[in-house]
Amino acid sequence: MDRRKFLGLGLAAVAVVPATLSATDFRSTKPDTWTAHKVDEAVKALYGDVTLIKSEDITIKVPKIASNGGAVPVGVKSDIKAKTVALFQDANPESAVAVWEVAEGTEIAYGLKIKMKGSGTVTIVVEGTDGKFYTASKAMQVALGGCEG
Amino acid sequence: MGKMKIKAKKGKAKVQIKHDMLTYDQAKKKGVEANFITHISATVGDKTVFEVSTSQFLSKNPLIKFPFVGNKGEKIVITYTDLSGKTVSSSKKIK
Repeated sequence: MDRRKFLGLGLAAVAVVPATLSATDFRSTKPDTWTAHKVDEAVKALYGDVTLIKSEDITIKVPKIASNGGAVPVGVKSDIKAKTVALFQDANPESAVAVWEVAEGTEIAYGLKIKMKGSGTVTIVVEGTDGKFYTASKAMQVALGGCEG
Repeated sequence: MGKMKIKAKKGKAKVQIKHDMLTYDQAKKKGVEANFITHISATVGDKTVFEVSTSQFLSKNPLIKFPFVGNKGEKIVITYTDLSGKTVSSSKKIK
């Protein structure tokens, strides 16, 4: 396919994406995100081909070594004004874990417990209201893998 | 109904949902359909204050924490949907 046409197609696809993602169920609107195996594939499926800017303003709290991979506490904090926040990791067969829609007037200060099959890196992508995408990641170890129940 | 434990006060909420969160792998081993929470949302009045789409990788009986905008005395309603299409709601007065 001639490159110019291909790029044109890409732009057309972006134009179709709704401007606001409020009250969205990402599982139905972005199904490919959840089946993507690698983190960058999942990011692409969710946000498109975006440039991820490494940000110091995203704090990821994970235990250095999680004793139980079935319940790893993950904390995400950021002062970035955001539309959505996505959590990925590379230890499980599929990389997407959760996608938050940031409610108006609330800050990003989420906590949740996740399963990590083994040691790996947790990656957060923040979709800023400025249209830019910020990212941070943290590596951690798991003593006992958590996907086998 | 004991399905959800909600703690909401001073703009911070903590919710523990009772759910097996069976991943595709785990379900295959047990010979049952995978079933896990796919979406959780919280509303105060008619405003959505929190929303997350989730994968099979949340822990069994997942615990989630988030900040929200709501006043003491108002009710926060937590609703989750799982892969089987079931929707469960529970509410708690904000302290």
